[in-house]
Formats: sequence, structure tokens, C-alpha cells
Amino acid sequence: MTTNDDDSSDALTPAQMLGLLQDQQRSVQGQLGGFVPVIMLTWGIAWLLGFGALWLIDGARPGFALPLGAAIAVFCVLLAVAIAVSTVLGIRSSHGIRSTRAAVFTGAVYGCTWWVGCLGIAALGGGLVSAGMSPAVANLFYPSAYVMFSGVMFIVAGAIWQAVPSVVLGGWTVLIAAVAPYFGYPTHYLFLAIAGGVGFLALGAASLVRLRSLRSRVVQAGASGASAGASGAPSRG
Amino acid sequence: MAELDPVIHAQARLRIMAALATREVGESVAFPRLQELLAMTAGNLSTHLRKLEDADYVEVEKTFSGRTPVTYLSLTRTGRRAFEDYMDSLRSLLGQ
Repeated sequence: MTTNDDDSSDALTPAQMLGLLQDQQRSVQGQLGGFVPVIMLTWGIAWLLGFGALWLIDGARPGFALPLGAAIAVFCVLLAVAIAVSTVLGIRSSHGIRSTRAAVFTGAVYGCTWWVGCLGIAALGGGLVSAGMSPAVANLFYPSAYVMFSGVMFIVAGAIWQAVPSVVLGGWTVLIAAVAPYFGYPTHYLFLAIAGGVGFLALGAASLVRLRSLRSRVVQAGASGASAGASGAPSRG
Repeated sequence: MAELDPVIHAQARLRIMAALATREVGESVAFPRLQELLAMTAGNLSTHLRKLEDADYVEVEKTFSGRTPVTYLSLTRTGRRAFEDYMDSLRSLLGQ
């Protein structure tokens, strides 16, 4: 790719230059967003196995029953791994990019809102339990409350960073959170595992495909150089 | 071709300008990260950055991260405008 980095653009037509320009911009966006599919796949697996483990406490009886402690441990470990992966990859992706003060503020407030919301739901649930909410209802309330909050946060993220897929995922997540209690215990865990996990995995796969196409385009543009014909043609969008 | 900005109308410099233009106003990219994003050699990138800096299209800010010197790059207001003009000229040449 570096062989074309001299002043050899006389050989490129305006169409090819516009194509090169657009491909370069897509490539940068693709490289900076390269961590998104990994995060999505991690969360997809965490949802499938985590809620799956909670379902296995009572869902597969009498054939099989996962002890309560083991199920909660699996759920918490998966959640911690997914949070760690998201944090590390997010930091690594922004490495070497210095944001504006406004962007730093937005990111910090958004990040803190996750903790504020999660603690708020815990406190709200505690209040409801002390007001007489039964363990059976609490089993339905907690997962749906957290899942719904996550969905709202995905929508907010999509709005802040102008990412339509995040808005779609958020809308889907709010919907499944609202619907889950109607399945009753323990089927609601199975529903959340599958509907939530599949949502993340589908989005992860879609973003992977999109990133692949961004990269292959710039490889073509970089390699084609002076002989670039059709591949350097401008494509809008 | 006469109306196309000769500072930008070179493959390497066009790619640098295009990459930096994806960042918001006020955002900047460290030299090694830009090099990685563009897959250019350090020497090549420096050469072209100097030409862009001479034209006042790119701002080069040398600072420190702890004790390590870091160079941050961003488009100047002139650079951003020139890049947009260049894109407009290309499009109008192509009848778009």
C-alpha cells in the first residue's frame, strides 16, 4: 500500500480520487469501530449462557437442576467478563485519539449512568421486597428491570453516537424485557436468554460483515493504484 | 484538473486529509495511531504531514504524555474547508 504514497496521483482520475477518499474514510471508521462485533458477540454469549444458567435452576426439572449458587456464580462471572471485555476494548479503540472536552464529558456521564441506573434498580427492588413483593414476583421484576434499563441505555448510546444498530438493539431489548414476565418463572429466563442472546449475536454478525466489507474496499483502493479502473469508481453512501 | 487543490491532490495527502476529516472538530489523532490507521511508513507520513502543515491544513501539536513526547494531528479550520472544497470540486467535475 505504501508504494502509492508518493505524488503519483496524476495517474488517478477524479473518479478514482473520490473513490480513494471515500474508501479511506470508511476504512478509518471501520478500524476505529473494529471492537464492536467482539463486544456484541461477548454479550450475546453472556446472555445466552447467563440467563440459560438461571433457567436451568428449575427450567429443566425433573431431568436436570443447576444448584442456585452455581447458576448465580455462572451468571455473575459471565457478566463480569463481558463488562471487562467491553471496557478494555473500548479503551484500546480510543487509544491515540484525543477527544474534545464535550465528548469526554458525554462519555463519562453515559458511563456513570450505567452504575447509577443499576444501583437505582437494586434499591427500588429492595424497597418493593420490603413492601411485600413476593420472591416469585421479584424473580420476574429484577431481570426485566435490568434488561429494560439496558435497552434504554442502548437507545441513548445510539442517539449520542449516531449508531442506528444500537437503537435497533435497544428497542428490541426494551421489548423483550416488557414481554418476558408474561412467560412466567422460569420460562422468562429461557426467553431472555434466547431473544436477548440472539439479538446481540445477530447484531455482532451484521457488524462483522459490514466491517469486513469496509476493509476489503480500502485494500482494493490501496492496491489498485495507477491501474485502478472500476474499483476506484465513486460509490456514494 | 486546474481547479483541484494541488496540496490535497496527491494520493498520500488525500488519504491523510480524508482520515483526519472523519474526526470531529477539536479531536486529534496521535502520530503512531494515524500511521496505523493509514498503513503508511513513518517517514512517508512525516513528509506529507510537513507539506500539509506548511499549507496550514494540518495542525501539529507536540505535547507530553508523562515523560513521553506525543505528537497530535488535526485538521485546521482552513484544512477542513479546503478538504470540503476539494470534495465539492471532484463531485462537480464528475457531474454529481
